[in-house]
Amino acid sequence: MQTAKLLANLKDSLTEQWTQAVFASYPEKSLPFLKTQKDPFANPVASMIREAAAVLFDALAGQDMDVEKVKTALDRFVKIRAVQEFTPSQAVGVIYLLKPLLRKQLLPEMQKQLDAYLEVESRVDSLALLAFDMYMTDKERVAEIRVTEIRNQYAQLKRWAQHLNAQAPLGEFAGCGQS
Amino acid sequence: MAKLPTPQMLMASRPELPKESWLDTKPQFAPGSYCYSEKKETMELLHMPNPHDWDPSAEDWNLPENWEQILCDAFEERLEKHRSLKLFMDICVRCGACADKCHFFLGTNDPKNMPVLRAELLRSLYRRDHTMLGKLLGKKVGARSWDKQVVKELFYYAYQCTECRRCSLFCPYGIDTAEITAIVRELMHEVGLGTHWIMDPVKNCSFTGNHLGIKPHSFKEIVEMLADDCETVTGIRPKTPFNEKGHEILFITPSGDVFADPGIYTFMGYLLLFHELDLDYTFSTYASEGGNFGSFTTFNMAKKLNAKMYAEAERLGVKWILGGECGHMWRVVNQYMATYNGPSPANMVTPKSPITGTVFKNAAATKMVHITEFTADLIRHGKLNLDPSRNDHIITTFHDSCNPARAMGLLEEPRYILKHVCNHFVEMPENTIREQTFCCGAGSGLNTEEIMELRMRSGMPRGNALRYVQQKYGVNHMACVCAIDRATLPPLANYWAPGVNVSGLHELVANALVMKGEAKRTMDLRQEDLPNVDADEAEAEEGR
Repeated sequence: MQTAKLLANLKDSLTEQWTQAVFASYPEKSLPFLKTQKDPFANPVASMIREAAAVLFDALAGQDMDVEKVKTALDRFVKIRAVQEFTPSQAVGVIYLLKPLLRKQLLPEMQKQLDAYLEVESRVDSLALLAFDMYMTDKERVAEIRVTEIRNQYAQLKRWAQHLNAQAPLGEFAGCGQS
Repeated sequence: MAKLPTPQMLMASRPELPKESWLDTKPQFAPGSYCYSEKKETMELLHMPNPHDWDPSAEDWNLPENWEQILCDAFEERLEKHRSLKLFMDICVRCGACADKCHFFLGTNDPKNMPVLRAELLRSLYRRDHTMLGKLLGKKVGARSWDKQVVKELFYYAYQCTECRRCSLFCPYGIDTAEITAIVRELMHEVGLGTHWIMDPVKNCSFTGNHLGIKPHSFKEIVEMLADDCETVTGIRPKTPFNEKGHEILFITPSGDVFADPGIYTFMGYLLLFHELDLDYTFSTYASEGGNFGSFTTFNMAKKLNAKMYAEAERLGVKWILGGECGHMWRVVNQYMATYNGPSPANMVTPKSPITGTVFKNAAATKMVHITEFTADLIRHGKLNLDPSRNDHIITTFHDSCNPARAMGLLEEPRYILKHVCNHFVEMPENTIREQTFCCGAGSGLNTEEIMELRMRSGMPRGNALRYVQQKYGVNHMACVCAIDRATLPPLANYWAPGVNVSGLHELVANALVMKGEAKRTMDLRQEDLPNVDADEAEAEEGR
């Protein structure tokens, strides 16, 4: 209970610092834009990061968070990181950037309740694992989309070829390859 | 002893401050971010300059020996030829209004995808040779010299621009960044650098008429197969007139809609609509590709492929051309065709709808009418019997395709039609539609599967807006008026807003169209059951 109270006091500072840490994984020249433009459609990446930050914090605080709800809120964030030019560790590992922040701000307050503090850190691990599963699903979807697209591009040609095959008299092909 | 990197070291994708200036930071050719190179034989067949084998991910691109001279001369020639290019090079004040308007920048957050910086890649070269300050002060005023890394950089970013012109909308000077991209691509072609996905269709369109290179008789057979499908759904087999002389109208549409799902259903929509109107028209196998893949390469190639339209209109003796749902086809028609191949042949007249008598004065110069203008006019005059309740299972939104929206102002007609054929229509957020529409992320020859990851991030602003209306209003369908959109939006929706279907507008028109003498409709053009049909009724219909 006390953990939740302590975390509640840190909410604004922790979410903001984590958001800034994720922003910092983008090129420096893009930072002023990411930081300032607030419209969710004019600056979608920042909007996705902020949405993720809010839900990560709530889950971290150990409030009764439904896994599906967490996944929905992380969905856009993980999706964009999965198709941007990051290594897998860079893409979803940014969730671990919460740990140094927690150690700096929360740990000193919880020296006498290390078990409770470790629980908070373990929740960071769970969230990162959850995000990793989502990341893999997204990557697999991209691969599947590539295959589907190739198939769709030539869909009618294939149908037409099958159509021709069905129409051709058997004898026409029966002699092929025979001496 | 070696140490494991710390988590922070693994996750930090860049050092705190980049060591080099932005002009010296070079792109990495990572798989998923670049298109495959074209084949040497293709370039030879098309008489393109300096054909050679090369690989974008290789260190050496095998450029011709005098590549720098070729590029400098080619750039100078274009500055003389296109006054607009010189103007665009000179007048940009780098105000940054365009910077955050590009879907590539929003999706990649790569600063060189800000249109101003993408153009600066070329402008910096311009300064060195064509401005007094640049000649004198060089790097201090942002001038730089050509080197092989610069060539790679130009190639990389010229193929991370879909020429959608959203940035131009916000430029106080109206600088057309799409034209800068077009010029960079043209320069790259001077030293033999092009992409397979664009050049292969260019070759096919050059030699056989359609982008897959299907021979005329086979092309016709595939269209007839689609007419058979129309009969299965409606009980009416529409006519498929090909290469016939003496008709009033020549119909030209992208050939992708004959081959690819879900474009074929839009094509079937055209067949049914024209049949219902008993329209006096013909298709052509020679001019069977409305889209102009040449416009993604060079001025001359665009001109060559565009010439087929008027040539065929003249040979077949038609009065005007009706054009299908396509994107860049309409930019070429409205902005370049007159310069390329105009004026129109003497046998052509200002288009007049044979059904309503409306004269399309807006098409007086080109003699080409967009199908949504034509259909909206039919609906306005009450010439179509429509039952929008057949589309009641659909909650649709509308994606404004970049070129019809920004290059011809086609904003109201598609919406007018959509509202008459669907009862549930929802707009996406205001700053993502109409003139401000976000590109599908893969236009101008970028809809190839090897860059799917790039497409998913560049298309994200569109996908994000779609996802918003899906979650907020239950949107399950997105209509569009572009064949490239019909190919690129399904994967995009599948990634960002799974569960949203994509179709052309005329697929929905034909689904709602009550035709004279049709069988009771129990399924839509995709041969999926219509939800509101009484099961007993449907069975009775089948047993009849």
